[in-house]
Amino acid sequence: MQTYRIRVWDLATRVVHWALFVLVVAAYVTGLIGGNLMQWHAWIGLAIVGLLAFRIAWGWLGSTYARFGQFVRGPNAVLDYLRGRWHGVGHNPIGAVSVLVLLGVLSLQSLTGLFGNDDIAFEGPLYVLISKDSSDWLIGLHRQMIWPIAALVGLHVAAMVFYALVRKDNLVTPMFTGEKRVSDPNIASAKGGGWLALLAALLIAGALVWVANGGLIPPPPPVPVPAW
Amino acid sequence: MKAIFASTSAALLTAALASSAVVAADLKPEDQIRYRQAGYSFMAWNMGKIKANLDGQYNAEQVSAAANAIDAIAKSGMGALYGPGTDQNIGEVKTRVKPELFSNMQEVGTLARDFAAATDNLAKVAMSGDAAEVRGAFGAVGKACKSCHDKFRAD
Repeated sequence: MQTYRIRVWDLATRVVHWALFVLVVAAYVTGLIGGNLMQWHAWIGLAIVGLLAFRIAWGWLGSTYARFGQFVRGPNAVLDYLRGRWHGVGHNPIGAVSVLVLLGVLSLQSLTGLFGNDDIAFEGPLYVLISKDSSDWLIGLHRQMIWPIAALVGLHVAAMVFYALVRKDNLVTPMFTGEKRVSDPNIASAKGGGWLALLAALLIAGALVWVANGGLIPPPPPVPVPAW
Repeated sequence: MKAIFASTSAALLTAALASSAVVAADLKPEDQIRYRQAGYSFMAWNMGKIKANLDGQYNAEQVSAAANAIDAIAKSGMGALYGPGTDQNIGEVKTRVKPELFSNMQEVGTLARDFAAATDNLAKVAMSGDAAEVRGAFGAVGKACKSCHDKFRAD
């Protein structure tokens, strides 16, 4: 059977995917160890905010298969897929759910971290905006979420193994090379997501990181401190 | 004479221990919760000051004062503030302590001693005025705080 090579994942999508993986692992390690690594935990968290913002913006600005409009479908598509009636390229309907869930939980996790505090010496950059009680509640969620999120990531990895071994479909290599072999000559390579789109997505991500780091919060006026 | 002195001081020590036990028992449970939370909050304030010094302009005198305050509280015998009835909220006085703490007092004691060792080191290092050494000792205190939070502080 003749196969054709198409470009499925553009470079930005691949870089964000693997950078997100590395930084999420680093966030776990630094958060669980604590101490002076909390400063790194904060920087890593801000970088993750940037990656998530970029990926979400890229869901509109990016190339064909990176766009939400291409892969987000209703529950009927998921049922069709389970019955073997789906023959598209890019994220399959269940993979699409996985993308949205992972982006969603990581966004929430980043958000709760930004408002958090650890009762020791660390405060998130947006902690000043809310009460200590609210911060305690949010950071409690942040701590409770870590194992459910790890389980979702584990499920994601398990799905890759399942596709490789059972469905004989290697999904990992395309996430490195960006290319996939298809048998239908009518399936086109990804288009769009040029330099202008990249610049726009980078600007959106940068602006969001700036806001997340408290860029909009005016610095407190200097208060004279008595010598005692 | 020596024997009398020894036995007298032993008696005094026993009396002191007994009276300190009485003092702890005399404290209302809600006041025990209040005092222990005041201790932790005050330590957190001083941890924040040390962090600000490490991140910005380093003032050795301020860091040393903060480290000494933390060390003094760490060694103040806060175990006495985990008396009976302090394992849950009392009216308006809320506590985030996990009930497990009260059935693992030996482990808590070990954590408390490790914590005091870390604050002792921080206070000593702060006296030397070496910011890099203080940073290391500060991180170790933070980890010692966390080791108890992870086990015995509810989310």
